[in-house]
Amino acid sequence: MLSLQILANGLVLGGLYACIAAGFSLVWGVLNVINILHGSFIVLGGYLAYYAYAQFGIHPFVSILIAAPLFFALGYILQRSLINRMIAAPVLLTLSLTFGLDLMLSNGMLVAFTADFKKLTLDPPLGVLNLGGIALPVDRLFAMVLALALTGLLYLLLSRSRIGRAIVAVRMDREAAALMGVNVKRIYAVTFGLGALMAGASGPLLAMIFPISPLSGPVYLGKAFVICVLGGLGSVPGAMIGGLALGVVESFGALWFGPEHAITLSFTLLILMLLFRPTGLLGRTGYA
Amino acid sequence: MTSILPRRALAAIAMLACGAVAALPGTSMAQGTIRIGAPLPITGPLSPEAKKLQNGMNLWVETANKAGGIKVGAKKMKVEIVYVDYQSNTPRAVQATEKLITQDKVDFLFSPFGSGAAKAASSVSEKYEMPTIAATASSEQVYDQGYKYLFGVYTPNQTLTEPLADLVKKQAGGVQRVAILARNDLFPLAIAQEMEKSAKKRGMNVLYFEKYAIGTLDHASALSQIKAVAPHWIFATGYINDLILIKKQMSDLGIEAPVVTMVAGPAYKEFVSALGKSAENVTSAAWWHPAVRYTSKDVFGSTENFNKMFHAKYGTEPDYGEASSAVSGVVLQLAIEAAGTLDKKAVRDALAKMNTMTFFGPIKFGPTGQVVSLDPPVFQVQKGRQVVILPAGIKQGDLQLGVK
Amino acid sequence: MRKSALLAAVLFLLVALVPLAGDAYWLRLGTTMLMYGVIAMAWNFIGGLAGYPSFASAAFFGLGAYAGAVAQKLGVPMGLAWTLAGALSLAFAALLGLALLRLRGHYFAIASLVVAEVLRELVNSATDLTGGGMGLNLPVPHDATVASQSEFFFYAMLALAAITFAAMLWATHSKLGFGLRCIQQNESAADMLGVNTTLYKVAAFMLSGAFAGAAGAIYASWVHYIEPPDVFDVLYSVKAIVMVLLGGAGSVFGPLFGAAIFLSLEELVWRNYLQVHTGVLGLMIVLLVLFLPKGVFSLRLPWRKGKP
Repeated sequence: MLSLQILANGLVLGGLYACIAAGFSLVWGVLNVINILHGSFIVLGGYLAYYAYAQFGIHPFVSILIAAPLFFALGYILQRSLINRMIAAPVLLTLSLTFGLDLMLSNGMLVAFTADFKKLTLDPPLGVLNLGGIALPVDRLFAMVLALALTGLLYLLLSRSRIGRAIVAVRMDREAAALMGVNVKRIYAVTFGLGALMAGASGPLLAMIFPISPLSGPVYLGKAFVICVLGGLGSVPGAMIGGLALGVVESFGALWFGPEHAITLSFTLLILMLLFRPTGLLGRTGYA
Repeated sequence: MTSILPRRALAAIAMLACGAVAALPGTSMAQGTIRIGAPLPITGPLSPEAKKLQNGMNLWVETANKAGGIKVGAKKMKVEIVYVDYQSNTPRAVQATEKLITQDKVDFLFSPFGSGAAKAASSVSEKYEMPTIAATASSEQVYDQGYKYLFGVYTPNQTLTEPLADLVKKQAGGVQRVAILARNDLFPLAIAQEMEKSAKKRGMNVLYFEKYAIGTLDHASALSQIKAVAPHWIFATGYINDLILIKKQMSDLGIEAPVVTMVAGPAYKEFVSALGKSAENVTSAAWWHPAVRYTSKDVFGSTENFNKMFHAKYGTEPDYGEASSAVSGVVLQLAIEAAGTLDKKAVRDALAKMNTMTFFGPIKFGPTGQVVSLDPPVFQVQKGRQVVILPAGIKQGDLQLGVK
Repeated sequence: MRKSALLAAVLFLLVALVPLAGDAYWLRLGTTMLMYGVIAMAWNFIGGLAGYPSFASAAFFGLGAYAGAVAQKLGVPMGLAWTLAGALSLAFAALLGLALLRLRGHYFAIASLVVAEVLRELVNSATDLTGGGMGLNLPVPHDATVASQSEFFFYAMLALAAITFAAMLWATHSKLGFGLRCIQQNESAADMLGVNTTLYKVAAFMLSGAFAGAAGAIYASWVHYIEPPDVFDVLYSVKAIVMVLLGGAGSVFGPLFGAAIFLSLEELVWRNYLQVHTGVLGLMIVLLVLFLPKGVFSLRLPWRKGKP
């Protein structure tokens, strides 16, 4: 019974993790840019939902629809104006660039929102679903379903739409795609926009569950690192599998080794994966 | 390219040079003012705590100055606090402390926030023999270094768990099985360990004791295990965000227990507003509560008056952090007035000898410099309000059993 | 090389005169600057010369700090404790390097970044040895005066900086430096030309680890109190990189100048932009990357002619 409950906890958590990591993985895979800003984008999306609910009573599920276009635009503009200038630079420089931008964004949020933790509390609460003795909180369940749906939509977009195919083409071979008439710069900007969109849209989901503060960004970013490496870089199914795997590993890790080691365990796993299976659990399959 | 870059470099150097000049410390020292240094985490993760400390300190400064200032021998001197931000970063706190002493030449010091930073900075103030008041350091490890110049207004951690354990033992006789979940961090861990001792001393069984890492996002596993041992008393420690998350997940998992104690979140209004009904009947303890009633000869006169003045200035009730930072100023003021001089050694001796009443409670420091005279209140969230249930003299209600 | 050595000797002698100014706060700043310099130079071995984006500085620094502090707690004399800490970090870097240096680019960056997190959690949970979250206190020598203590740690850090500089100067002009620069330019080609890339990379990583670790150990003795989140702070890794970028990657004097500039900026920002200092720091990094990716002194100074 305990194991089943823990498995359920882990899967629900893992759904959220998948959503955190999908956009991050996309940007990394296609642009070869590690977007340190990703964690802060999630937090910013969370604040959007918090204030929308506190001031106007807008349900966080609705806030996702507001956040999505806003963050897409934000990401698109950021890529076009700044990040594109460094796209071909060594790893160290692009990393430093997004790190610097992240310092600015998180400091800005700190000034605007203060470091007090904010908690979006739904009234009335959504309650708990009891499945044969296994307790499943409905808000988490909804958040997980929506997170997986969002991730699925991203997958469909990439595999079915014209622009999605162009993104996949750029990811596989930039030069060839450019020769085929794909506007690589635009694709980069769209991809970065999509990454920001995923971050901004997962913010409201997480805000329903975790207290938010401008300083939670690095925690989410750390999860995204591990999930990307677990699932394999730049693939949506990979992010999904990686997220679920991390959720389950953390849950059972806390059970077997004690909760203080859950984080250590996931990071150790990251290093081991990098060393022994750098293509991720699924192998490097790409977006198609 | 080559012609542009050196110019850029020169511009950068010129910029630096200007900045370096601008950065030179101003040495404007008003005559006849007592300057107290306060390194605080004004920015960074601990900034909400710094805000609270500043509230308390500023109220004290304002009140003391309105009364003409601090009496030093025959004359009265105004008082001023020099704040320095240490970005919630302990090495910076040490650095800021040294800067305040050697550069700003402050007369006295308040410690940085929390046990860890206070302990780290205390070695600097000890080095310079600078009387230092710690408003928010409770762990005995801060005071056991043999230092002579450090004084703290929080009693040791076990003074929080002992009365609580007594009360539970007396009023909920069936409580036998205890589960403890602690944040692996200086204060939360220390108080959890005291709780374990207090429980064992009273013949209770501690069936679960685990630590969770800083930054843990999910407590479902630990809580599922706690549920499996069916405890009567769940004791969780951490900061407010941790505890909101833990209590929320406890409700999610349907964990109920006769007694649930959390330190140090429930003292704050945000805890109750974030959790609503599921905060109901959670117990906690703190070093001070606005419901305590003391009459004193300090600038505030009484607890009630302190509460009133605080409310007039900030529009809210003070919490224990805000009160402890105000009382740090009060204690220093009383010591200076007793010594009749700003001489650091004399003020230090006055602090060591102090045995007085303040709005915060009776203040007498033990041999290590930590206050020993206070009787910290225990309280419980009842109908959305924090209700004092101990000590008996000031209690507003009785312990209610059953937390859902 | 001789010119650089001479210049450096003059420079270090000048810095050695700082304590004559007598102000404890400036002395503390000076010590911090030298510490930053050591961390930056240590990073330069692996990051500047070999071009590997290492974020392991915080791991080495923290490991050294704890190794030195625990050794002293167990009664080892201070100087020996520092040496031991350096040696332990060296050995750790060797093992870590053998495993991680097979990775490239972002993968290496992330793996090295995570090492500090893992070490921090391990130190945090080894409560008996390290005090865990309670932190670790080192004894304050009561017999020495305040001023003499500050001077002592200043000169200790200065000595370490001088040794690190000498090692870097030697490495840059030796076969090791040549091999590392080959690796930076094209690792596969270097491999084919018969450069033992693994050996070179691991050697660079070991030097990086040893000096950063020794700096951590001196730091621990100097501040008397350490706790895991502070010494394993990821910002040490980031600062090392920013400092080297500021001063110019791969150059001999770059890291030291970068450290001096960075510390001045940090102080400046800290004093003048209280609420937004991390933001201003971020802005500086962004501007630096966008406009001066080769450092403040790029293309200007004669000793940078060796740039590959």
